[in-house]
Amino acid sequence: MLTSRLLVLLQITAFLVASTVGTAQAAIIGTAEHLADQSRSEQLAQISATLASDTVQQHMLEMGVSPADTLARINALSDAELQQLAQQLDALPAGSGALGVLGALFLVLLVLELIGVTNVFSKL
Amino acid sequence: MIRGAALALATLLSACATITTRPPDEAASELTTVPFFPQETYQCGPAALATLLVHSGVAITPEALVPQVYLPGREGSLQVELLAATRRSGRIPFILRGGAEALFEELEAGNPVLVLQNLGRAWLPRWHYAVVVGYQPDTQRVLLRSGTEQRRLERWSRFIASWAHADYWGLVIPRPGEIPASGPADDLAGELAGQEALLEPALVAATWDAALARWPDNLNLLFAAANARRANADTEGAAQLYHTLLMQAPQHMPARNNFADLLVQAGCPVSAERLIAPAQQATPALSPAVAEAVRQTAADIARQRAQVSNDPGHCRALTQDPTLP
Repeated sequence: MLTSRLLVLLQITAFLVASTVGTAQAAIIGTAEHLADQSRSEQLAQISATLASDTVQQHMLEMGVSPADTLARINALSDAELQQLAQQLDALPAGSGALGVLGALFLVLLVLELIGVTNVFSKL
Repeated sequence: MIRGAALALATLLSACATITTRPPDEAASELTTVPFFPQETYQCGPAALATLLVHSGVAITPEALVPQVYLPGREGSLQVELLAATRRSGRIPFILRGGAEALFEELEAGNPVLVLQNLGRAWLPRWHYAVVVGYQPDTQRVLLRSGTEQRRLERWSRFIASWAHADYWGLVIPRPGEIPASGPADDLAGELAGQEALLEPALVAATWDAALARWPDNLNLLFAAANARRANADTEGAAQLYHTLLMQAPQHMPARNNFADLLVQAGCPVSAERLIAPAQQATPALSPAVAEAVRQTAADIARQRAQVSNDPGHCRALTQDPTLP
């Protein structure tokens, strides 16, 4: 597990280095750069791209994605998407389907509450 | 205590009852050619995404998308990963802007829309992806490919409430070289610019061109399309657009810089020098990044200019002399 994580980290670092070197072309102004310059919108506090990759990679591995898939998935994210995942992965909605697992759990809680076993709702 | 629980429940439920549920007066529609993939356990994300991708001409299955979007630990798929997987299939994802109105514009144009629904409540969410393929005004039902139902007819009030609880999030995946039917030019430009580095240059250039065809006078689109053409090795096409843009807006210094850079890289330093001069004079008023780019371009030009006194003949095709802006 540890070695596979290390491997992914190395691959990501190599990718980031390669992509930074490849796109450095200061004489041209990119479209995204120009649009950002124009709107001067308030930017979210950004963490470094490396740290963002590292954070998302760890999350994904912990959530059962294989090391190889993790790398491919991170490489397909834009900078903004990577930032969003790194900062809010646990809070983002994960669409799963119309299955009522949580609904059933809620009903159990409600019944327990109504028959006086628990006190979950009375403090609300 | 029972009263307390009931009161709490009523409060929670009523907090969600403020959404307009009046069904819209829209024409009947049904996109019958949109495929259907019944979802496996928890995997509405891969199923809904495959539905849109196949409709846009990609040969793919939900099973192939599972390792690209499914998060076992969350028993579901995240929105941004659907966007990323779309790009891995060689298509461009566009987030729907404008809620129900935009949804109907897409349906009218023949585009199915992947929507995120919250089938639970804000405080107990149950997230679900489905694909909207039509609307029946007489029965006030939305037509969905959803879960294991190929043709789910969902009451408008129920649909719009569940969609509102997911912030009206929707996804459109056009065929290559096409753009969504809905949404303003600026939103589209921002979205495409933010992901073009992850896409094939030819696809990017064709998509900017499509946007430009709809909004021919939009300066941001002219600039973006010119940059994209150049990145796709279409030097003449790029020069043409920079020229058009500068004829409309001579003060567009980023365009002036990029056009001058194109010319100097093409071995036309004399034209490039004429083009960059106004930008050099304007440097104090430019943003640091633009000013720095202008300085670099000017230095490149000076280096080449020292060796020649006239541009070679092929430069004419790029500068469209004598009307250089």
